[in-house]
Amino acid sequence: MLDVALTAAGNVFTFQSLLFLTIGMLIGLVVGVVPGMGGTTALAVFGPMTVGLDPYAALSLAGGLMGAVSFGGSVTSILINLPGGAPNAATCLDGYPLAQQGKAGLALGASASASSVGGVIGVFTLLTVIPISKKIVLAFGPSEFFLLAVLGLVTIAACAPGKMLRAMIVGGVGLLFAFVGFDNVNGGTRFTFGIEHLWEGIPLAPAMIGLFAFPEMIELSAKGGSIAKDKGKVGLTGTLDGVWASFKYWKTLLRGSLIGTLVGAIPGVGGTVAAFLAYFSTVQASKDPKSFGKGNIEGVIAPEAANNAKDGGNLIPTLAFGIPGTAEMAVLLGVLVLHGMEPGPTMIMHHEAEIYGLILTLTLSSVLASVIGLMMVRPLAMITRLDAHILVPAVIAISFVGAYANNSLAGDIVLSFVFGVIGYLLIRFDYPRLPLVIALVLGELAERSFDQAMMISSGSWSIFVLRPISALLLVMIVAALTFPMLRTVLRREKAVEEFS
Amino acid sequence: MRGMFGAAVACLLTAAPVMAADFPAKNIEFVIPVSPGGGFDTYVRAIAPIMQRHLPQSVNIVPDNVPAAGGARGAAQVFRAKADGYTIGIFNIPGMLVPQIRGDSGLQYDLTKMTWLGSLGYDSYGIGVASSSPYKTVADLKALGRPVKFTASGPSSTAYSTTMIATDMLGIPREMISGYKGSNDYVLAVIRGDGDAVVGALPVMEKFVESGELRIIGTFDETSLVPGAQNAVELGHPELSKLTLGRLVAGPPNLPPEIAKTLSESLMAAMKDRDMVKWSKDSGIEIEPGDAAAAKANLESQFNFYTQYNKYLGPAN
Repeated sequence: MLDVALTAAGNVFTFQSLLFLTIGMLIGLVVGVVPGMGGTTALAVFGPMTVGLDPYAALSLAGGLMGAVSFGGSVTSILINLPGGAPNAATCLDGYPLAQQGKAGLALGASASASSVGGVIGVFTLLTVIPISKKIVLAFGPSEFFLLAVLGLVTIAACAPGKMLRAMIVGGVGLLFAFVGFDNVNGGTRFTFGIEHLWEGIPLAPAMIGLFAFPEMIELSAKGGSIAKDKGKVGLTGTLDGVWASFKYWKTLLRGSLIGTLVGAIPGVGGTVAAFLAYFSTVQASKDPKSFGKGNIEGVIAPEAANNAKDGGNLIPTLAFGIPGTAEMAVLLGVLVLHGMEPGPTMIMHHEAEIYGLILTLTLSSVLASVIGLMMVRPLAMITRLDAHILVPAVIAISFVGAYANNSLAGDIVLSFVFGVIGYLLIRFDYPRLPLVIALVLGELAERSFDQAMMISSGSWSIFVLRPISALLLVMIVAALTFPMLRTVLRREKAVEEFS
Repeated sequence: MRGMFGAAVACLLTAAPVMAADFPAKNIEFVIPVSPGGGFDTYVRAIAPIMQRHLPQSVNIVPDNVPAAGGARGAAQVFRAKADGYTIGIFNIPGMLVPQIRGDSGLQYDLTKMTWLGSLGYDSYGIGVASSSPYKTVADLKALGRPVKFTASGPSSTAYSTTMIATDMLGIPREMISGYKGSNDYVLAVIRGDGDAVVGALPVMEKFVESGELRIIGTFDETSLVPGAQNAVELGHPELSKLTLGRLVAGPPNLPPEIAKTLSESLMAAMKDRDMVKWSKDSGIEIEPGDAAAAKANLESQFNFYTQYNKYLGPAN
């Protein structure tokens, strides 16, 4: 394996490859910041431009792009409470309160270092599991996907301390939205009311943009002022503190990274679930769970590490069978095919060096993107000082771009509006919004996987218990539901004891 | 006034053949009805730059992804485009034919009216099982004594209808495990053990055979020679060879014949171009050049075939 790795390194550390790596990183950072636009769109546009150059140009561009998009997405999560993409949503929970306290620099710094370390750990974990990558991909079938989706849905509720019931209600509404559209297992459309636009279901990006951007901006323009409550306190000395915070809380960092890689390996929704699981487990492991959601820096470190570590995990299906695990990987593999690399399980057999090259560029990009990001913290943190009458129109305009860029459908902009109204109502009545997003992401997978699991087992529910990983996930679900409650009970008892 | 009107009409009348001779005068849009990254997307992106070299005038052929509604949106876009040769598209046949035959509501295209320009190739299908499974022949599957579980994508997909039709032709009692997202997923599903067997496109399955995970036990081609697998003739059902997946290129209805000819010829030349052949060999993706007449004939034959097997196409949406 060493000689393959050396060949790969030799091809990555050339001027051309590094140039494309940098270009990819810059595109990824910009694209990540625009809400709703993700690596998929960018790669689809820029990837084909590498045709005619050697495959390492494409790999470097793609690796650079993918490694940087996550960090770009964290920026908007922290600064304006608008997730750049679904995996960045968990960062909003503590990142935005920090920005409101004038500590945007701290949050961004922590995000940068957590992202880069998370990305590197993700890649190393990937390298260690390569020998069993096929087994990993084959171990996750419909029954596991269903339970994983349920686990993700359950952790939603736990991410809103004190508002668990409201979180579950919103999650339920999100599930209703998730089931709109064509039923892929049994055929037939549901809840589309004859509107052709809803045939494919409710697209995530416009919904997320509407849900987060518009209500924030309405609130902000109604209140006036800026995001940072006290402008004088917007300090940038916090940035270095933020960077070191990740290392200070190294257990959180490690936990987030490992969860990110392992859960992120699960094709499709791994990234989002990973970020929330990382957040949730950090809250549970903390001595002061109530401080989360109010600006606890660990609440930024954990999901940020996870959502970069997942990039390593995302490569497992590609390493095992040459097939994509996520939409971005699909576009990436498409670009590789344009370069004459055949897709499918034989890709690894014939193009090992190129795949290792991709892994290497991902690692490099993860670290470098954070460095570049750190250099931009000053102007970025200043955004929280901007007055509403400048910030609001700008954010709304960019949000519309993001909503439209998804599919070039005017209907998506209408959807954004609708979700904007929903989002506004939710914050007026003090209901958390994130559960809706998570439910939208996981709902389709949950339903489809359940139906498939039932078909596989011929209707027997025992499939969820008899398969080892399913059983493990079941245990995790029960734990996730009961652990917080147990903890409150135990602490209350302890307090009573101490009191008497 | 009348003089001016007459002059204007005369200009327009003479302009038409002049426009055709000048074709193409601006960029041509090549609609891809799926998201970036899929097989059809790759075909178009590979051939577009080569095809534009074979056009009489130097313009760009710009791939444009128009996903959504299983391809119906992209198809509608080409169907409704102006018949001036500046919009063409790639079509999955019979995949995009099925909604039309089935009678889905709100469909805004009619593939039988498109101007067919050529085809990039056809995939044949076959039956595969996990290499760890004990089944070696189709007869083994039939001897199971219970419905055989076949993995496939959703009920609207070609894989689903192909599986239903093939298993009925072969007399294999079956149960569908549907809803997988793509061909890689439903082939992996059978390797994982979610189902007993899978009906899949041979190029996809052959890769899994090469990596050792899959065994092909039957092919729906009349002449194929996959070791260990019976072909359609040996299975006793040569009509199985009608179950193919074609990649056809078309323009909107009523495209002027000279423009259609230009597009058709440049497509053909692109498919035979040395660079295309090299790409095809490197990536393992086969291109079988087919001209406009062949494409039209294939469409009509598939239309008749699936009209006959309408009941397997799932409920109309």
